[in-house]
Amino acid sequence: MTDQAIVSQIIHALSQYLKRDANSITEQHHLRDDLGLDSMAVIELLYKIEETFNLQIPDEDLAGLTTVGSVARYVESRVAPGEAPKSPPAKRAPGKAKAAKKKR
Amino acid sequence: MPTRAVITGLGVISPIGIGVSEFWKAALAGRSGISAIESFDPFPLDGYRSKVAGRITNFSPEQYLPAQQAERIDRYAQFALVAANEALADAELVMAREQPHRVGVIMGAGMGGMVMGEREITQLYLNQKPHRVHPNFIPVITLNSASGIVAMATGAKGPNLTISTACSSSAHALGQALHCIRTSQADVVIVVGADASITPLVFAGFCSLRALSSRYNDAPERASRPFDQGRDGFVMGEGAGALIVESLAHAKKRKARIYAELAGYAATSEAYHMVIPREDGEEVATTMKLALQHAGVAPGDVDYINAHATSTTIGDAVEAKAVRLLFKTRADKIAVNATKSLVGHTLGAAGAIGAVATSMAIHTGHIHPTANYESPDPACRLAGISRTVQERKIRTALLNAFGFGSNNAAVVLAKYRP
Repeated sequence: MTDQAIVSQIIHALSQYLKRDANSITEQHHLRDDLGLDSMAVIELLYKIEETFNLQIPDEDLAGLTTVGSVARYVESRVAPGEAPKSPPAKRAPGKAKAAKKKR
Repeated sequence: MPTRAVITGLGVISPIGIGVSEFWKAALAGRSGISAIESFDPFPLDGYRSKVAGRITNFSPEQYLPAQQAERIDRYAQFALVAANEALADAELVMAREQPHRVGVIMGAGMGGMVMGEREITQLYLNQKPHRVHPNFIPVITLNSASGIVAMATGAKGPNLTISTACSSSAHALGQALHCIRTSQADVVIVVGADASITPLVFAGFCSLRALSSRYNDAPERASRPFDQGRDGFVMGEGAGALIVESLAHAKKRKARIYAELAGYAATSEAYHMVIPREDGEEVATTMKLALQHAGVAPGDVDYINAHATSTTIGDAVEAKAVRLLFKTRADKIAVNATKSLVGHTLGAAGAIGAVATSMAIHTGHIHPTANYESPDPACRLAGISRTVQERKIRTALLNAFGFGSNNAAVVLAKYRP
């Protein structure tokens, strides 16, 4: 079970970015397919999340971050257990698949 | 028949060599010019996801320019001037024999004078002393400073323009030079592309955009790997390329050596997204098609493509898809290479440096390798991409360049036939 405080902060960030009611966003929503975020928008969202949770998210971790829930679980794995958000940066998570797609 | 334009002089300054001779030797050897960034003093390097770049480490401006001039212009303008001087000398173009208003300068620059720009902004906020902002700050960061400087140094009084379309800037500069010649606004155009912005703020910006490679921080020479399955973003480079473009009649009159004909050009917008290309490749294919039409040649005449190929996951795949869309079964018969595999992505200089490589390929019949092309990515597999030198008689070549802002350029260079 994902920490609901983390989930709600991520949903809050999304609702602010998308100018959309937070109650209409769920943990199951896919960032691209359901919420319409392109790869650049995902990067902007993660930029906000890095600030909120005092994290640095390495490029190689981006590929797994596709749904609201997967972002929440990722953040949970990175903040030290028992600590509220704004904790010091956790140790880097093990590398996942490949980096986000890009660009020019 | 429209006025023909030809390329008669080349100049380059790059992470793999200063001067065309050094550059070309390293290019044919497939040598990477990418190295580790040692420091962004006083900023902590840990804060940067990417730690590699194509820096020019052996450049001392005083070696090429009068000390007072060198000190007063930004690094990108130093590069521009050094490359332009080399190209003029290579073309044996003596300005004293030219009508000054018939010689133009068209520059491509994406970022401009960021070395001084960043330094002055930082000092203003640190010291809180607006009266200590350097008097030369505005002239240096104004984006057309380099084209002005090249004109002042050479006495070229014709059209003086700067094109800034991010990574396609100097490909458009070449295209505009072609228009300039064809509409008889000039007999000669000094085309230059230059950028030098491996600076703390710009580099951090590209890191934040997640556009840069970060997987090869411990093996910098492997980081720029266009079309390879292991690519993970582009590597920033710096440098300049310069080409002397002149009307065929003018070149003939002064018995100039001709590297290639500048035969056609297309400029398009995808009208789609600031930084993401359309994934179906249609827009890139259309841009190449329009450039070939402008040159009056058929897709079947193309033997070589100097690809934009920055080593990003999506960009390289889209470009390869576009090549297949346009050239169909012929796609695998065309030699394709990526100059950025050697020098990184030099932003506004990329088109001009690519054009120098393309001109040399047409002139010599040697196509430089694509470094680090080890595991072909099925998403961008083209038989003509190679880790080794390809020898080919090139009739027609395409130079691609795409920029942020949904901006595309394609330039056609051809073997000169009298």
